[in-house]
Amino acid sequence: MAQSDWLHPAFTLADPRGEVDAAALIEAGRHLDGQNLVLPHPDARAILAGLVAHETSGGDLFIQRDTGVEVLDGQGQGLIWLQSSGSTGKPKWASHRLDELKSRLAGGQARGTWLLTYAPGSFAGLQVILSAALGGHHLVTGAPGASATDIAGLAVRHKVSHISGTPTFWRAFLIALGDGDLDLAAVTLGGEAADQALLDALAARFPSVHLRHIYATTETGTLFTISDGRAGFPASWFETGIGALRLGRSERETLTVRGGRLGELAIDTGDCIAVEGDRALFRGRIDSVVNIGGVKVWPEEVEAHILALDCVADVLVSPRANPVTGHILVAEIVLAAGAMPDIHEAQIKKHVMDLPRAARPAMIRYKTHLDTGQTGKKARAGGA
Amino acid sequence: MTHPATLDIVKAELAVLIADKTGTAAPEISADAVLLEGGLPIDSLDLATLVVALEERTGKQPFRQGFRLFRTVGELAAIFAEA
Repeated sequence: MAQSDWLHPAFTLADPRGEVDAAALIEAGRHLDGQNLVLPHPDARAILAGLVAHETSGGDLFIQRDTGVEVLDGQGQGLIWLQSSGSTGKPKWASHRLDELKSRLAGGQARGTWLLTYAPGSFAGLQVILSAALGGHHLVTGAPGASATDIAGLAVRHKVSHISGTPTFWRAFLIALGDGDLDLAAVTLGGEAADQALLDALAARFPSVHLRHIYATTETGTLFTISDGRAGFPASWFETGIGALRLGRSERETLTVRGGRLGELAIDTGDCIAVEGDRALFRGRIDSVVNIGGVKVWPEEVEAHILALDCVADVLVSPRANPVTGHILVAEIVLAAGAMPDIHEAQIKKHVMDLPRAARPAMIRYKTHLDTGQTGKKARAGGA
Repeated sequence: MTHPATLDIVKAELAVLIADKTGTAAPEISADAVLLEGGLPIDSLDLATLVVALEERTGKQPFRQGFRLFRTVGELAAIFAEA
């Protein structure tokens, strides 16, 4: 019997409660009743023990991030239930199988120290926890809702080597880290489009880093990984595909995918693509397109333009209803450490003049940080 | 906020916008100046920007509930004054 063989014997976890190893987690899991096990607001430790119990008993496991959403009744199919991020409306339950989750992960490489930046009970969080467990790594996690400053402190203290997070996380992390003593071996970005300025900043800050950004959708999971340090992906992939995966573009200029495990029917990802030279770039979600006086504008594209400035640490561009043009964009900017408001606000004002008129934010507000949802992505109030 | 006070705010914000755009001081703006249609050197995107500036300055968003017709500087000021 190879129970819990996904939990590598060398795996260890350091959280605010202390440090535990794989054997202790397996032992903790054996003391849980795995039939319809509900884990409210779980941390990584509770999830790992819960997974052991789930696998041993073959019961359902409910990872309940939002206890305001009731647990489904009488499933008994041996599934892992996660709550979707709920950026629009209430979170919904979605089921997964441990085998299928494991098959998507690669735990290989030399043993490293990983840091969890996602909510433990989110899909991305579970993937990081499982990858670390599978590969026998050392996983460091902070307290629930830890700030970027807390996380940067943890990274330095534990000499972390691998971090995966959203671009929004990474911008805040770079600010919080400053010149703290940290050199990462691997940086992964996912969940949002990675802009060139951020990729450049990460490569400069961590000279020996293996830098990659992942393209995934909720429906399909991870589709491909880009490791050349450039935003977007090679436009040649539209001709060559990537392995069994075939890429295409819909009439509305969104990326479509088919082939391999996806089957032959093209799936529309809803992500708008623009080809510039040899590169395909993500413009933004089709449902985030804003119509400004009859001109289509992608807030994410405007953000990428503003982020090209060194003095800008992060920016959120969102639409505001306007009686004249239907909508108009407004921007919230977090200045980089050391930026001088007098000089750099003028520089930013000049820089946005390079945008098409309809895409220029009508108002720029300066903030100390941006709000993020449970997913670690920017909270887009103006979305679909 | 009274209508005359709001009118002064609209005129001031409009003057800044025109000065920024044309690089020269704005002409005298009257309450019955027509906002678009060639009355002032601004177009619809400038006017949209003016509305945002007024929303920020007054803390009011009178168009949140939907569109209200205005043509002149004075009519726009009245909408903000009443909000």
